[in-house]
Amino acid sequence: MTKPTDLVQGTLDLLILKTIALEPMHGWAIAQRIRSVSNNVLQVNQGALYPALHRLEQQAWIQSKWGESENNRRAKYYSLTKAGQKYLKAEESNWERLSSAIGLVLKTV
Amino acid sequence: MRWPQTVSHRLRSLFRKSAVEGELSDEMRFHLERQVEENIAAGMAPQEARRAAMREFGGVEQVKEECRDARRTNFLENLLQDVRFGLRMLRKSPGFTAVAVLTLALGIGANTAIFSFIDAVLLRSLPVKDPQQLVVFHWSARANPKRQSQSSYGDCADQTGVGDCSFSVPFFKTAREQAGTFSGLSAFAGPLNVDLSGNGDASIVRGLYISGDFFSTLGVNTFIGRPLAPFDDSPSAPPAIVLNYAYWVRAFNAAPAVVGRTVRLDDTTVTIVGVAEPHFTHLTPGKPVDVFMPFSIADRVRGEWWRRQDRLSDPAIWWVVMLGRLKPGVSIGQAQAAATTIFRNETLHGDAPAFKSEDAPVVTLRFARSGLDGETSQIAPALYLTMVIVAFILLIACANVAGLTLARSASRQKEMAVRLAIGAGRARLARQLLTESVLLSCGGGALGVLLAIWGVDAIGKLASRGSDQPFPFTVAPDWRVLAFTVAVTGLTGILFGLAPALRGPRVDLTPSLKENASSLPGAAAHAGRRFRLGDALVVAQVALSLVVLIGAGLLVRTLRNLQEINPGFDTQNILLFGINPSIAGYTDQQTQQLYTDLQQRLAALPGVLSVSYSADALLSGGWSAGSVHVDGAPPKQYANSAELSVGLNFFSTMRIPMLAGRNFTSADFAAAGATNAAAKSRDAAASKTNPASSSAPAAPTALDEAYSHSAPVPVIINETFARKFLANQNPIGLHMVNAPRGDSEVPDPGPGYTIIGVVGDTKYAQLRREIRPILFSPLVSNGAHFELRAAANPIALAKNVREIVSQAGDNLPLTDVRTQTEQIDQLLFQERLMARLSSFFGMLALVLACIGLYGLLSYEVARRSRELGIRMALGAQRRDLLRLVVGQGILLVLIGAAIGVAAAMCVARFMTAMLFGVRANDPATFAGVAILLTLVALAASYIPARRAMRVDPIVALRYE
Repeated sequence: MTKPTDLVQGTLDLLILKTIALEPMHGWAIAQRIRSVSNNVLQVNQGALYPALHRLEQQAWIQSKWGESENNRRAKYYSLTKAGQKYLKAEESNWERLSSAIGLVLKTV
Repeated sequence: MRWPQTVSHRLRSLFRKSAVEGELSDEMRFHLERQVEENIAAGMAPQEARRAAMREFGGVEQVKEECRDARRTNFLENLLQDVRFGLRMLRKSPGFTAVAVLTLALGIGANTAIFSFIDAVLLRSLPVKDPQQLVVFHWSARANPKRQSQSSYGDCADQTGVGDCSFSVPFFKTAREQAGTFSGLSAFAGPLNVDLSGNGDASIVRGLYISGDFFSTLGVNTFIGRPLAPFDDSPSAPPAIVLNYAYWVRAFNAAPAVVGRTVRLDDTTVTIVGVAEPHFTHLTPGKPVDVFMPFSIADRVRGEWWRRQDRLSDPAIWWVVMLGRLKPGVSIGQAQAAATTIFRNETLHGDAPAFKSEDAPVVTLRFARSGLDGETSQIAPALYLTMVIVAFILLIACANVAGLTLARSASRQKEMAVRLAIGAGRARLARQLLTESVLLSCGGGALGVLLAIWGVDAIGKLASRGSDQPFPFTVAPDWRVLAFTVAVTGLTGILFGLAPALRGPRVDLTPSLKENASSLPGAAAHAGRRFRLGDALVVAQVALSLVVLIGAGLLVRTLRNLQEINPGFDTQNILLFGINPSIAGYTDQQTQQLYTDLQQRLAALPGVLSVSYSADALLSGGWSAGSVHVDGAPPKQYANSAELSVGLNFFSTMRIPMLAGRNFTSADFAAAGATNAAAKSRDAAASKTNPASSSAPAAPTALDEAYSHSAPVPVIINETFARKFLANQNPIGLHMVNAPRGDSEVPDPGPGYTIIGVVGDTKYAQLRREIRPILFSPLVSNGAHFELRAAANPIALAKNVREIVSQAGDNLPLTDVRTQTEQIDQLLFQERLMARLSSFFGMLALVLACIGLYGLLSYEVARRSRELGIRMALGAQRRDLLRLVVGQGILLVLIGAAIGVAAAMCVARFMTAMLFGVRANDPATFAGVAILLTLVALAASYIPARRAMRVDPIVALRYE
């Protein structure tokens, strides 16, 4: 199992923020979505996911709300705050720059 | 704007802990169940599905803890946790906590109390509207102005150089008309003692002359009635006064009906028109006022020294303080330039120029709070010195508690090691220790505030003892005192907590975790490093307390030196009281009659040996002086001496020896009275014909003739006068005249004085002053202080004295009834206060330092009991162990004393001005204090040393 914690800390945050940017989601669904969208390459460990969610909430990038889940249970849904949207945008462009730069280095050398 | 959410989120995790915990569990459970469903949907059996989900999830509790950690990045929760833990730790060692809190409370309380006084005396703003706009006029020049007279009521501190803050009324009026830079300009003078009657017994009150715009300039309103207004300035206006609030409450029981009532000030009937606002307690700090009177009654209600002068129109009499309110937008520099222009115009080119242009007179404006510093500048040095002393006390307290905490943290070494081993960060531990220190200091601060309230009360009582006035400054806590205490408390906690906090977590894990680490021989060397800091703290305490003790020693010796001065007369069993018949309307002749009458009646009282009177009581602080020219001396060589007019039998009553010549007789008084009367009628005539320029020589009149032909006034000189001015002459029979006034070189044409006797030297106004030449003359007018020589303690006579005085003259209030020794005590009040306060704090410092030493040595003995046991088992005598422990204590004390002596030498130099008869580096005081300190320290180290001697080697060795 590839451990996403091997990723840089900010990367997991970026994945989470991007994932819930579309609609509010609960933790389990976030993990599932990341896995399926990345074709099972990125498997988010729960031991990293929940602390990350709580930290992001603490920093007010995301907010949480209890709601009804798809199987009619109470689940905690996370959504982006206004500040979170801005933060996500900034982080995305950061990531673009970083990855294209890394790509350049890898291709050239 | 992220912080609202951040904060509310944090507060929620902090205070809704159980709810947050529940949600966390729910969230985890939901995830697991959702995974189980997913697994079942993928075809797993339910049992298998659950197990797989759990496996994938990992440790639920670990994830939860990490989530908690993610939220718990906040400072507040850590702090609360630290506080809770700290309180638990402190509760576990109540002895340590009590000693530490009490020590800190003493330090913080003393500082808060003294700072309250500094705040009240030096920092608090004036109780007027927008005090930062108020400025006081102040003039200075290169040479003294030609003034006919000047008087100051001590509103401004004495300056070096020429200049003060008194001006003439005409200049004030001109400035008020011309200065466009002020939104208000007013003047005041006083307060002076006024005889108020018509409200019960006649009493002396402090009356302040004010101009009509005084209240509007200050922005002060009345509580009831109306303030004085510009129309009250008109000489034809019915005389009106305003009462100060405190006086109204005190003398009129706060009766609202007082408005419209008439009373008599001296001999003038005035109407009370209002009572000032309660918060307007004073203008010049330290100078309380009872009534406000308009300048227009200044020629009717006047201090006795102003008999013959027209103060309201003479530009050569400078006596009022000017107070202006700057217009908005006008800088103090602009206003100052404008004021200087007006001042130069008046004093250089006016009717009676006071300056020559090369004198360069200028006006400076000072903000009222710092400009009206007459009273505060006198007690400021004492206050600052006391503040330094209590700051030292606080430092000692800090060092003391730091030492205790350090010893305690040594015993908590194992706890620290365990916490480090299971993963606590060193910074986190340091913070924990610091939190405990701040907790202690908060406890100390809270208790300290209580001590301060008590201390302020006690010091206030101490300060006003020996004077009939309450302490003239309002000492009450305000935001500044509060801020000070909070700051001191916080700083204290950090200061004494810093050393242990930095030391505490620096523990070597391995030896500390071993069972008997501290009693292993190797541990002693290891712990030695830590205890060098403890030693340093004790040394610091000893040094600081030595400095405080030496300061106290010098002040106590100063007081004793002053008390042991022989003032030249017998101070025992004398009752003093003052009366002033002239402000109650007596003529000079009636006054003299009254004095003779009183003298005889009082002398007839049982227990009274003799009675006399004088213009000032000796050693009361008041004095007057003048210059005379002795016949036969070179021209322009004048004898400047103090002057005191006295009654019959003054010298025998005061027991001042007659050295040559004869004493005053009734005939002398008659002659002096006649001469005085002639002088007065001449002056009265002169001021009638030529009121504005009485300095200009007029043609001699018949009255002048009568004056200059009256008999010379018989005078008696003291020994110093004879020695200084009349060396190698027989003083008896010598004739002298008054030195010319002002620039004139023509000697005074008056009859002059004839010396009839010489008496022994006495101190006059102050004990600290050197003995001055004194000229005693017969008292024939004005107020007097009576002296009753009794056979025993004279204070019991006071009641009889009051009866006799009220029989002899109605409407005559007695002032300052006290014994001569009380009078001297009052004179030495500041010295005594300082001596008492500094001794108290010196003893406190000594006790704290000894507690520190005792604590350190006790801890050492306890820690080394095994080592001591081994030493004893190997044959060491009890004496050797005693020497070992006491030796360590003495060594620390000697080092501390050496540092303290050096520091005290530097510090004491700043006290020189306060000392009398003792040098700042007085070896006796230094040696005495050092010996006292060493002896007390010896006792403090003897107790733990005895414990060391009682160590039973068997027990010590067995104890593992």
